[in-house]
Amino acid sequence: MKLAFPYLGPTIAYKKVAELLGHEVLMPPPPSQRTIDLGVKYSPEFACFPFKIIMGSYIEAVEQGVDTIVTSGGNGPCRAGFYAEVHKRILKKLGYDVRFIVFDSMFKDFKRFKENFNLIRGDNSMIQLVKKASLAFKMLRFLDDAEKEILIKRAYEVNEGDFSAIWEDIKELFDKTYTKEELDVALQKARQWIDSVSLREVEEDEKIRIGVVGEILVAMEPTANMEVERRLNSLGAEVENIHNITNWLRHNAVPSIFGKSHSQKLIDLGAKYVPIPIGGHHQENMGGIIDFKNRGFDGVVHLMPFGCLPELVSQSVITRMQKDIDIPVLSLSLDEHSGQVNTTTRLEAFIDLVRNHKVKMKNKL
Amino acid sequence: MRIGLPKGLLFYYYYPFWRTLFESLGFEVVESHPTSSKLVDEGVKVAVPEICVPIKVYSGHVVNLLEQDVDYIFVPRLVTIRKGDTFCPKFLGLPDMLEYTIPGLSEKLLAPIIRTENDNLTRINDYKLVWKTLGVSKASFKKALKEADRIWTNFRNYCYKGYTIDQATDLTFGRVKESDLPAVDGYDTYIGVIGYVYNIYDEYISMDIINKLRSMNVGIRTFEMVDESYIDAKMGTLSKRLFWTFTNKLWGAADNFYKDSKVDGLIHVTAFNCGPDSMLGAVMEMDSDKYGKPFMTIRVDEHTGENHLNTRVEAFVDMIKRKKQKLKEAEGL
Repeated sequence: MKLAFPYLGPTIAYKKVAELLGHEVLMPPPPSQRTIDLGVKYSPEFACFPFKIIMGSYIEAVEQGVDTIVTSGGNGPCRAGFYAEVHKRILKKLGYDVRFIVFDSMFKDFKRFKENFNLIRGDNSMIQLVKKASLAFKMLRFLDDAEKEILIKRAYEVNEGDFSAIWEDIKELFDKTYTKEELDVALQKARQWIDSVSLREVEEDEKIRIGVVGEILVAMEPTANMEVERRLNSLGAEVENIHNITNWLRHNAVPSIFGKSHSQKLIDLGAKYVPIPIGGHHQENMGGIIDFKNRGFDGVVHLMPFGCLPELVSQSVITRMQKDIDIPVLSLSLDEHSGQVNTTTRLEAFIDLVRNHKVKMKNKL
Repeated sequence: MRIGLPKGLLFYYYYPFWRTLFESLGFEVVESHPTSSKLVDEGVKVAVPEICVPIKVYSGHVVNLLEQDVDYIFVPRLVTIRKGDTFCPKFLGLPDMLEYTIPGLSEKLLAPIIRTENDNLTRINDYKLVWKTLGVSKASFKKALKEADRIWTNFRNYCYKGYTIDQATDLTFGRVKESDLPAVDGYDTYIGVIGYVYNIYDEYISMDIINKLRSMNVGIRTFEMVDESYIDAKMGTLSKRLFWTFTNKLWGAADNFYKDSKVDGLIHVTAFNCGPDSMLGAVMEMDSDKYGKPFMTIRVDEHTGENHLNTRVEAFVDMIKRKKQKLKEAEGL
């Protein structure tokens, strides 16, 4: 069995779990222009952008000899829940015989969940599984925290590109880490690398903080969002992304009796604007914008795939919300036709606007 | 008191129900004007640019009702009408989208959350907000629901007989007699028209595709004519249902038409950028190969030109008729 996963966030952590459990993982190359081209070519014309990127990744994976794809399902109302079903049919039509292991909610179909779970677990006992998963989780948490830190500090790096290079090095280092001892060394090394980058001193008043919200795949995958985070950083803005896998896992896999997850708090905030969940991370994004405002951020970038169902509702609500709570929001709609120059220009204009807005707010006080 | 019903989205499916409901409670029901280019423009002005045309049209109808000075505008938030199913996210967030994009709507919005287990929207508890707001007693509201359900069942029975929704509505309210309408059967060619009620029966959006086909002497089959039990049975055989109720209905109907030897071809009418249809369309296209039946997609939006639609529909029908003629001749030899 040769496994692959779709790219979402720090993929090395899922790869690590599967490898530790004794599976062979053959990840396709990170999403590139070729991935997008392939995905667009073989996807339904009006499928959303994440569908197409994942389609491209799957094709690249099967080209490498992957025979099993592990992914998550869903129960709507966002169409992502039906991705696997259509991906499977398209791959079959292309002549690839691939097995899909789709994890749907265990509460809906426990039998199938258990089957899938046992397939992944292999010969490992539950104790071994927990041990191995917790190693990967530790790695995941570090990666998420490190990325968060880099998104802030990269705005002030003296040599542009230092942090981006370090981030790649860290991922490579972790990819080769398999035991607890190795991980401890790796964590230390990564820490040193991050601390070694020289930073510019910037007055507190001059600092600009931008929150990123939106559909999870385009918000987390740099190839899909034209590297929005890096571009914002190079314009001198600190960035915080609402999405990370640690939060997602806490929200989805840890029962609520252990306290409210961060995501749940955001959802509660967002419920003021949309009272019921309508799919995707819609309510969380709405709450996220309010939360960013409360924490003194200067602006928000809202990323969505072109035609995204839940995020179009967000976009409608944002038109009024940004006036209500007084925070500039830039909505960027992304698909295979997005151009880099267009994105850069809009971000530059947005940062200018945010700086002016900040000065105006200060003068008001 | 005047209650406004925007003529968009599921209006076409539930009009007999909603109209009867409010009229038997003694309210005046005000419909928005038929969709026109001016009305669509009003919708385009308030809605976000990227959203699908049915939502833009619906926004236009809400603006139109505000201009007609109604007391309330009824915009039910349809969440689910079948266990495990849901509606497209835009239906789930519809009242919010309208409230935050259309100025002056907040106080007039009457948006109960609908969560039932079948197409009859008769779960009394869903309407608490409505009877409280309108100052009606629960008992009389319950009675009105019962009456609405009775009328709606009549309407659905006309649909099952093979009448399209516009005809069935007229029949239900006694505007025409069955004998006045063209026959539902006895054509040499039948086409399955697959699409949501708000795309097919809004004559402005679909450019009246139903009457176009009728004028070409083609029998029409649509999803609302297919027995619900067939659709449910069909969905049971799939490894995974879609989760949008009406998309499932279309899928089940399409499957029925593919297998029905009487139906000669399928036309899928869909709005540009429709999310659920992007998945359904892909599946139906693959099925078209499997069953060897002609399948055509017509994609509509606020810019669609009528001539191109005429040409495509005519060509599609001609192709089917010629193919049938050829087959007949071959059999004759």
